[in-house]
Amino acid sequence: MPPAPGNTTSQAITVGSLTKKFGHREVLHGISFGIEKGSVFGVIGPNGAGKTTVMRCLLDIIRPTSGTSTVLGEDPRTAGPSLRRRIGYLPGELFLEGRITGRKLLSHYADISGPVRPGRVDALAERLGLDLDRHTRKLSKGNKQKLGLVQAFMHDPELLVLDEPTSGLDPLVQQEFLAMVREAQANGQTVFLSSHVLSEVQQAADEVAILRDGRIVTVATVDSLRQGAVRHVRFTANGITAADAGALLAGVPGIGHLEVLPAGDGVELSATLGGAIQPLLRVLAGLELTELVLEEPDLEESVLELYGSIRGNGSGQTDADGNGRRRRRRGHGT
Amino acid sequence: MKRPLPLFTRAFVDSWRSTLGWAAGLAAAIFIYLPLYPSIGGSPEMQGMMDAFPPEMIKALNYDQITSGPGYTQATMFGLIGFMLMTIASVAWGAAAVGGDEESGQLELTLAHGVTRTQVVLERALAILARVLLLVSLVFVLILLLTDSAQLNIRPENLLGASLLFAGLTLLSGTTALFVGAVTGRKTYGVAAGAGVGVLGYVFNAVGRQSQEVDWLLNLSPYSWAYGNNPLANGADWAAAGWLWGMSAALVALSAVALSRRDVGT
Repeated sequence: MPPAPGNTTSQAITVGSLTKKFGHREVLHGISFGIEKGSVFGVIGPNGAGKTTVMRCLLDIIRPTSGTSTVLGEDPRTAGPSLRRRIGYLPGELFLEGRITGRKLLSHYADISGPVRPGRVDALAERLGLDLDRHTRKLSKGNKQKLGLVQAFMHDPELLVLDEPTSGLDPLVQQEFLAMVREAQANGQTVFLSSHVLSEVQQAADEVAILRDGRIVTVATVDSLRQGAVRHVRFTANGITAADAGALLAGVPGIGHLEVLPAGDGVELSATLGGAIQPLLRVLAGLELTELVLEEPDLEESVLELYGSIRGNGSGQTDADGNGRRRRRRGHGT
Repeated sequence: MKRPLPLFTRAFVDSWRSTLGWAAGLAAAIFIYLPLYPSIGGSPEMQGMMDAFPPEMIKALNYDQITSGPGYTQATMFGLIGFMLMTIASVAWGAAAVGGDEESGQLELTLAHGVTRTQVVLERALAILARVLLLVSLVFVLILLLTDSAQLNIRPENLLGASLLFAGLTLLSGTTALFVGAVTGRKTYGVAAGAGVGVLGYVFNAVGRQSQEVDWLLNLSPYSWAYGNNPLANGADWAAAGWLWGMSAALVALSAVALSRRDVGT
């Protein structure tokens, strides 16, 4: 949905029909989306979906083949350095090879970006547990990533563009990163981040765009994804036959994968629920329940279904990495 | 507090180890070769040996003037060891400035900050220039200090002119490497192009000096433009100096244009 002209003032990023070709290979096929100022927007998709390409276009590192983009009210293609000083950027592949300490490197980046408050760098490094006095090339992958995050956050930019920001970070630091994102949002900053797994994005983002093969599959709020997501239901009940229980549950909208087993003088039942909870609760209220488990929706699963439906053959489940494990990419800039 | 020329400062200061290494190499070469002049180049035995060598070889190595102080200094320092060391240094810096930085993935992050691509090229080219001038100044000063003790008999104004030609000649290889790196985003291509200019310039000079049938090769050799008239003995050819420096300036400008017009890091 191309954003209507005129609403750009409330949007930090507006992208309309963006395409990008590398040679004859088109990697973005007319992407449109908008990011409200002060919101956290996540883009997820498998490796090679075009997430990095979109972000690089917004920073004028690469130039779109066609389409429009507006970043903080300006065209990144012509706005020049003044616009980029208002942005904090973390590249998807961070290489820091110099024989230089983290502190000196950050001071260099501070020289070519927006003003950095005194003490800000040390505060961020302490939060993330980063030693600034070690040479950058001796840092582990995770510590380099922390340095990249400090670099992106240190000048409190109006817009943060973070390509796979949690890559290489251990879970504790990931939590700290999420806290930093929430603080940035409370500060009025806009955050645009990417990941190839939803679990990294869902805790931080208000809205999520799902990108696949250079197209946006859907843009949805995390809440609506959650509503559309599949929950697992399990219960045991007394005083009902398996057949009756099965018939009763089958009448609830959104119920699938129904399995009913007789247990004692009652039943043990498991199913998935793909819709609202209320109709299920009304049915359950009439039963003599001895146990009930209604799980949190598994967003990962619903997103994988979206990937799969686009692919059309359901192979998305095996191909996309659903366990939250991160796969490293090298040398392909899409 | 913003420092002026942040990219220049980083490129210049961060490479101090490399600069120091090249300076040590050049100084060592000067201290090994030049004090030997009275016992080698200036000795009557040397003239006898020169007469015994094939004239083609003498010309190829620029040893035809080796029995004079300026000729010896030209043939050993400016024409051979110094030329080699400075060309390698300049090409390495030039190829790393944009192509190498892009290939290693670091240019992307720099460009995402508040800089223009033209600024990146110009400041980094300035850092190459500063390092070349620093090393050539060292060469100038050391040779000047050795002139009397090594009986080189070089006039200071000729030494200055030759040093500027030396700087211009080796800088041209570096700016070629910078330009090709900026066009292709590949360090290897930059190194190949920069080294190609240095090596071909040297070979065209060596071959072109052999006979009049091939002396047109001299016109294609930056090495010959710079050194063709023996600047240490006869004074610098300022038009040649202008060409060398002007071409470097043009290559830097073209590098800025090339980098500004293309995608980075793809």
